[in-house]
Amino acid sequence: MSSFDYSALSVDDIRSGLAAGDFKARDIAEAALTCIEAADASINAFLQVTPDAAFAAAEAVDAAVAAGKLDTLGPLAGVPVGFKDNMNLLGTRTTCGSRMLENYESMYTATCVQRVLDAGGLPMGKLNMDEFAFGSSTETSAFGTTKNPWDLERVPGGSSGGSAAAVAAGMTPVTLGSDTGGSIRQPASFCGVVGVKPTYGLVSRYGVVAFGSSLDQVGPFARNVRDAALALNALVGHDDKDCTSQPCSTDFTANLNEGVEGMRIGIVPVFMTAEGLEPEVGEAVLGAIQKLAAAGAEIVEVDLPNAAAAMSAYYVIGPCEAFSNLSRFDSVRYGFRDPGHADLGSQYEASRSGGFGAEARRRIMLGSYLLSAGVYNTYYYPAQQVRTLITDDYRMAFGECDCILAPASPRTAFKFGEISDPATMYLSDIFTISINIAGNGGMSVPLGLGSDSGLPVSAQLICPWFEDEKMLRVAAALEREYGAAPIAPSYADLTASSGEPAPSSDLGGE
Amino acid sequence: MKTMDQVLQDWEAVIGLEIHCELTELETKMFCGCKLEFGAEPNTHTCPVCLGLPGALPVPNKAAIESIVLAGLATNCDIEKHTMFYRKGYMYPDMAKNFQTTQGPKAFAMRGWLDLDVDGKGAEERVEVRDLAAGDEANGATRTETGYTTHIGITRIHMEEDAGKMVHLGGGEGRIDGATHSLVDYNRAGTPLMELVTEPDLRTPEEARLFMQKLRQVYLCLGISDCSLEEGSMRADGNISLRRRGETEFGTRTEMKNINSFKALHDALAYEICRQAEVLEEGGTVVQETRHWDPATKRTISMRVKETADDYRMFPDPDLAPYDLSDEFIEGVRAKLPELPDQKVARFQRSWGLSAYDARHVIEHRETTQFFETAMAQAGPDAEKFAKPLANLIINDLAARMNADEGFDLATSALTPARALELLGLQIADTISSKQAKEVLEVVLAEDKDPAAIVEERGMKQVSDTGAIEAVVDAVLAANPDKVDEYKGGKTGLLGFFVGQCMKEMKGQGNPKLINQLLEQKLQ
Amino acid sequence: MTEHVTKADVRRIAEYARIGLTDDELPQMTEDLNSIIDSLKPITEYDLEGVEPTFHPIGDLSNVMREDVEGLSFTQEEALSNAPAKQDGSFLIPSILGGGDAS
Repeated sequence: MSSFDYSALSVDDIRSGLAAGDFKARDIAEAALTCIEAADASINAFLQVTPDAAFAAAEAVDAAVAAGKLDTLGPLAGVPVGFKDNMNLLGTRTTCGSRMLENYESMYTATCVQRVLDAGGLPMGKLNMDEFAFGSSTETSAFGTTKNPWDLERVPGGSSGGSAAAVAAGMTPVTLGSDTGGSIRQPASFCGVVGVKPTYGLVSRYGVVAFGSSLDQVGPFARNVRDAALALNALVGHDDKDCTSQPCSTDFTANLNEGVEGMRIGIVPVFMTAEGLEPEVGEAVLGAIQKLAAAGAEIVEVDLPNAAAAMSAYYVIGPCEAFSNLSRFDSVRYGFRDPGHADLGSQYEASRSGGFGAEARRRIMLGSYLLSAGVYNTYYYPAQQVRTLITDDYRMAFGECDCILAPASPRTAFKFGEISDPATMYLSDIFTISINIAGNGGMSVPLGLGSDSGLPVSAQLICPWFEDEKMLRVAAALEREYGAAPIAPSYADLTASSGEPAPSSDLGGE
Repeated sequence: MKTMDQVLQDWEAVIGLEIHCELTELETKMFCGCKLEFGAEPNTHTCPVCLGLPGALPVPNKAAIESIVLAGLATNCDIEKHTMFYRKGYMYPDMAKNFQTTQGPKAFAMRGWLDLDVDGKGAEERVEVRDLAAGDEANGATRTETGYTTHIGITRIHMEEDAGKMVHLGGGEGRIDGATHSLVDYNRAGTPLMELVTEPDLRTPEEARLFMQKLRQVYLCLGISDCSLEEGSMRADGNISLRRRGETEFGTRTEMKNINSFKALHDALAYEICRQAEVLEEGGTVVQETRHWDPATKRTISMRVKETADDYRMFPDPDLAPYDLSDEFIEGVRAKLPELPDQKVARFQRSWGLSAYDARHVIEHRETTQFFETAMAQAGPDAEKFAKPLANLIINDLAARMNADEGFDLATSALTPARALELLGLQIADTISSKQAKEVLEVVLAEDKDPAAIVEERGMKQVSDTGAIEAVVDAVLAANPDKVDEYKGGKTGLLGFFVGQCMKEMKGQGNPKLINQLLEQKLQ
Repeated sequence: MTEHVTKADVRRIAEYARIGLTDDELPQMTEDLNSIIDSLKPITEYDLEGVEPTFHPIGDLSNVMREDVEGLSFTQEEALSNAPAKQDGSFLIPSILGGGDAS
């Protein structure tokens, strides 16, 4: 056996390496831990690393391989996976990046996490995020910022910033994030990795701390489309603990190599001319369109006449749901309790103002206002009507195309502190939000580096409800043009030769 | 204060009820698989969902939805096919998520009704029907032979979840005011709870009491709840206002919450009628508020007055799929409808010739209904002969005993339906007198023996031999010549005295009918 | 910027949401909320006559229920494992109406 380049391994590489006996799952877990230790000192993607859980999972994988039963293991056998810290995993803290849950020990395991474990994944730890997923830069985490591996002075995006950065720095090949208005696609774009927000209902939300229940969806980050598709295979399907989850038997890897010939790719003109869209991003997306056309796709213009109202609908629906979802944090059963109060009312107020950060307080306040009597009919009800219009827009558009191509984010990663005004920060998600409103699937796929900033730029692909395999197919075609997502240059060397198989005598027979 | 009767001459009471009932007969909670169990150790029936843990999601219990549809069908409601669950926000420590999952403007069951038969003393409360002739109607109440009937509209029955329970420490008698700490137990949190709301169609405390009682009968009959008022699985909120007779506008109402006995419901409303009348007649205004019924002092006490209207921030729960109930689902539930109390009363009248009054009272309890039905089935071709005496036995002896003695369980008592028939058979055949029958009943219950054996063993047989009785009658008349003269002089009330003397001589075993007949003959 | 909410409104909203807000924080919060509410204007300008609302995405989902079958529950110890304070198998909280001792 020779040493192996851990961070270069794809999900398939890990499986074939395990099959060939090149390394054991335990070696992979050790390499991942070494890599996390080396890279995360400067990045701070992980809030918590879970070596014991990783080794326990690795042991189970190795036992199965030793028994000749690798075939019985799921698609993520031996694959290190990190989880956004709003996902419950029994035996870990689940903080949601908030003081409120700083010491909260998960009392159960989220379905999406369990499915990764069931698929043979190695749980490496919990990843930093904007507090309760309120943000687009991971700056609102109570536990420090996460740095963008491409430029440590820049944000990784958010709210799933830790999940994006961990993959971009080569710490783990796959992570999970959640996306309420762009929280997977925007950080994937900022960090130059693949990030998939599946159609609403494809992945169970059970055990993922809710932000906007009708908007939230869990999905994978990976450095290549196939890895993301394999992760999706593990994640999707009905969960009887989540009423909104749906059955799914799609193999998302099945048509990755089919190319785009004959596919109709939709372009939304208003997106391409949107105010705030940086030229280098626009150029890159236009370049991608040309490449798809050259590969045989038919490019069609589609109209989303109500997309402009998506932002305001989102900032009504999201805060209303968040206000309600976050009312359970009351210092009674779990979570931060401000000490020394003689009456419950003052304990409530002190605990909630002390436990929640500024952005969380703002959204709770906004939701509380928007749902109040007399105001409900001015904003909440019409926002849900606008949602109908936007949903219809997408349905109409998908009558004319198989998949829509758009920018993922209007710009590349910005610097820490560069955007402090909430309203401007909210504009980070102008291209992603309407997809959550309508429930469609969307994903970010890297298009290389921006001509101006030299930072990663991505396209967003959007699919009809429950036809996520279509956007993965287009993403795979783009990947063939642009190459798989590279590890951020400063971390490529740091994590390259970290894999060192242990002597086989330590690990039992094969 | 004036009496309620005085008040109701001038004022009309307008009463509405909200009746909560837990679906205790289900296995599990409304939105999670935790077991429903009353009285378990605190916090032993909880899970991520009912503890409101971060990330947990609700999944509705299908059997609960079937139960509420069943309740709706049994109370003549329309079943709404398209409904949603809503979140009703309020921060309170017994509500784990700090919102209650409930229904919005549309409930599963809407626009129903129940008819009430009010009779006996309680019917007197409805002053305007007292002097009507049977069949005549006033204010929606129709006079009957024994009282009146009235129609009570049901606005809706919606599905929601119960809260946890709290124990308040450091205050007096576990009260919340003055408490320094409280303990919270979430075992009850998430228990499926139906809330029925009536139209403001009730006019007297007795009607309110009867409505709740009838609803309880219906729910018990459906087998969806134990309807225990003591354990709080069924509880009522009552609201009441007064208006001058003849007016159509509603007055300002007060509300009494969580009333947990039929008597308390009646008495609290009766007190409020008198209190509000006094306030209004003195030129004051009734304050819209929640008042607490204190059974010890028999009065209602004002709770804190709310400064602003409640604002619960209701919105459709995004975690729960909306409902689109199919005809198939609804008809499937309808097929499970058992015979309802009103139908049972009609059948008892039709099949056994019982009066409506007797039939209603026989079915007041599940145990007595069961007892009656079993006995009638066993009575075979003679059933009709036994029906009325059996109804009397149930209403006058057994139900009275059940009401007086909590420990008395008819179903497991020594009086089986077969023994009841045997006992009534002895009475019908004039083998024993009705007085003796009561004695035999006591012995059956105490000693677990058959009535015939008891009668035999104790020599309790009624003497119906005319010769033997005549001898006693003659002796009694001979021993009381002065009383005989008084009787003949017109004091016919003395007949009872002579009967008593004869019975005494015969140690209670003389046939009272024959004694009466002979005495009357001889005294003529 | 339109004043959608006054400082007094924001104070009441905070009280309802049980978010403690100091006098110092009040002006900024009021300004932030007014600025965000301003940005929601497009919602109020739409002609939405006859448009049904979409409260649940993926429209055809309905009647999702579970069978009435018992599942796993926590032990008392597990249920209380994250409790900031507990006593006698229950969650312990200070006086609900006020007037308790500081604990």
